[in-house]
Amino acid sequence: MTASTLTPAPVAPAAPQPGRRARRRRENLAGYVFLSPWLLGLLGITAVPMLISLYLSFTDYSPLIPLTEANWIGLDNYRRMFTADQSYWHAVQVTVTFAVVAVPLKLACALAVALLLNRTMRGISVFRGLFYLPSLLGGSVALAIVWVSMFNRDGAFNSFLALFGIEGLPWVNDPDWALSTLILLAVWQFGAPMVIFLAGLKQVPSELYEAASVDGASPWRKFVHITLPMLSPVIFFNLVLETINGFQGFTAAFVLSNGTGGPVDSTLMYTLNLWIAGFVDLNMGYASAMAWVFLIVIGAITVLLFNTGRFWVHYSDNEER
Amino acid sequence: MEPITQAVTPAQSTTRRRLLAAALTVPLLLGAAACGGDDEGGSGGTELSIYWWGAEKRAELTDQALKLYSDKHPGVTFKKTWQGNQGYFDKLATLTAGGNAPDIFQIDDNYISEYAGRGVTLDLTPYAESGKLDVTKFPESLLKYGEVEGKLAGVALGENTQGLVYDKTLLTKNNLPEPKTGMSWEEFVDWAAEVTKKSKLPGTQDASAVYQALWVFLRQSGKELYNGKQLGFDEADITKWFALWKGARDKGATPTPDVIHEGNASDVSKQLVATGKAGTSWVWANQMPELKKSTENELGLIAYPGDPSAQWARASMYMSAFRGSKHKDVAVDVINFLANDPEAGKILGTDRGLPPNLDVRKQVAATVEDPNMKQTIAVMDELGKKYGPTAPTVPPQGHSKVRSELIRVAEEVIYGRQTPEQGAAAFVTAAKAAIGAS
Repeated sequence: MTASTLTPAPVAPAAPQPGRRARRRRENLAGYVFLSPWLLGLLGITAVPMLISLYLSFTDYSPLIPLTEANWIGLDNYRRMFTADQSYWHAVQVTVTFAVVAVPLKLACALAVALLLNRTMRGISVFRGLFYLPSLLGGSVALAIVWVSMFNRDGAFNSFLALFGIEGLPWVNDPDWALSTLILLAVWQFGAPMVIFLAGLKQVPSELYEAASVDGASPWRKFVHITLPMLSPVIFFNLVLETINGFQGFTAAFVLSNGTGGPVDSTLMYTLNLWIAGFVDLNMGYASAMAWVFLIVIGAITVLLFNTGRFWVHYSDNEER
Repeated sequence: MEPITQAVTPAQSTTRRRLLAAALTVPLLLGAAACGGDDEGGSGGTELSIYWWGAEKRAELTDQALKLYSDKHPGVTFKKTWQGNQGYFDKLATLTAGGNAPDIFQIDDNYISEYAGRGVTLDLTPYAESGKLDVTKFPESLLKYGEVEGKLAGVALGENTQGLVYDKTLLTKNNLPEPKTGMSWEEFVDWAAEVTKKSKLPGTQDASAVYQALWVFLRQSGKELYNGKQLGFDEADITKWFALWKGARDKGATPTPDVIHEGNASDVSKQLVATGKAGTSWVWANQMPELKKSTENELGLIAYPGDPSAQWARASMYMSAFRGSKHKDVAVDVINFLANDPEAGKILGTDRGLPPNLDVRKQVAATVEDPNMKQTIAVMDELGKKYGPTAPTVPPQGHSKVRSELIRVAEEVIYGRQTPEQGAAAFVTAAKAAIGAS
């Protein structure tokens, strides 16, 4: 009954047509209005600039000249990147080292702490909060500055070592160690994946553990044969996210090296090298080319991860079907 | 129009298209409106944007000088922006990319060829010829140092030269002799090693990454950093340079590599003589008063080691006008005022270096009160008499990259990852690539 009062259309098909159309138009309009902040953002600050940067990557554009005066130089930027520029390959090496070491360490820490925090105990939420805290500070500049002063020759970390009679190194100013301090900083901020792991752990049905206990399984076996497989979708999610993040590390390296990637290029992350090409050497066309290669490589790595995921990620609902 | 369109295509898609059009037009209109705003500022007078780097003291002095201009030219006001050296050129490049370069901006020989070569700076030659910009009282070489490819790209606002700053207090405390202008590089290294031995503080910052020290060293053997758009040196010269400093490190004349690395930061306040981590730092003479602010100790100032006639009067920094400025004539007039007006000169003092106008310079020298500025002027006057007949021309495009490559390679050698020979080969290759030389 109510339905028919709401839609009288079937009764007289000819007359109400414009009304319905008008309403639909109004709805559409409202939809676009609500969508517009995102749409404008997508077009204005993502899509259009990206396309422009794609174009610029084939030019010798410098920020000092108008866009229209940039000369088309074809694939020269890409050729230079792959064949002539040593610092480019050095930056690739630094970035891969960083990501390959930092990402697994960070995930392992996050999982370990999540396991510890996944129990009922008084005040557990306080601990959870405390462990999450470093991640709230995120990629902040202030944090990187604190980190640098902690790992200086006369920083807090060396004072701590001195208590045990160990003479520390100038960690951040030593080309052999500077990258390690950056990795440590990244690992320390394990809060975000930890929270996701914690949520994942809560989803593992307790019957499985009970059944395993009845069969006399050791805690290790339970972890390997129940926790890990049940958690694999969450691990996968974190892995993808953190890998992308790892490759994009910039702030800490920038602050630690005063924007140079030093000492002797030991912290020359890909994005930092890109920034130097664009804003210090004023070679924005070349920087754009670097950015596009970076985008494609990260995309490829993500696809690769998704493909390998088929072999080790278990979705419980799939198995049930 | 509308009914026809509606008849052809469904109403929805029209709306969508129109919305899309609107979505695209709105930012464009906003952008246009923003641009329009600039013009209307002229209703009450002219507002010029001016942009420089420096410390707070410089901001104070520049403020006062600009205020004096506004007093003399009612209707001209300034939108002033200043910041520390680090990040200045990133920001200037970003502003320029957006077409919003300031009407007047400070620049140095690090980037002036870059900006002039790409047509950002206004060619001041016609103004100098017509007398609107008075350069008749400038030392010839200082004026020339602002010319890029035959065009006057910037007006020197200060003259300086290489200055070796040492910690006098440290030396007196340990009964050590002061270094002297004219001592050879070897004598200097031995002196620094002696300082380390007696005072337990490294005698000198390692200068192998300091481009202006390398430059003096090259000129002392008849070479140059650049010959036009080519390098003015070869691998053998750089090998000698890196070997000299390897010897200094082996003798204990310098700090540990990590401290050397710290001192290689461009920031004046991070120079080791100011942070108390070494007895000597390699700076520009006009930076001495600024260094003095970070330390209680008394500082001395001399020329770099070797023959001082290899040093030259360099424009420490310039003021340039933006070619796209809407108020070019006023901008040039302001630059003229800052460089030549006696009162403005008195206010600005030697913060940017010796005043470029020789009359103003004399007057400032006679009236300056700051003891550190006095000392700087005295030393630079004395060195000025020793300068050789030729001064280098302004460095080519890519100079700033050459500088950062020198730091990178020199540090490779300092940290012991490369021998002086390997470093020299690497630096020559990198420097050639940076300036696009063959």
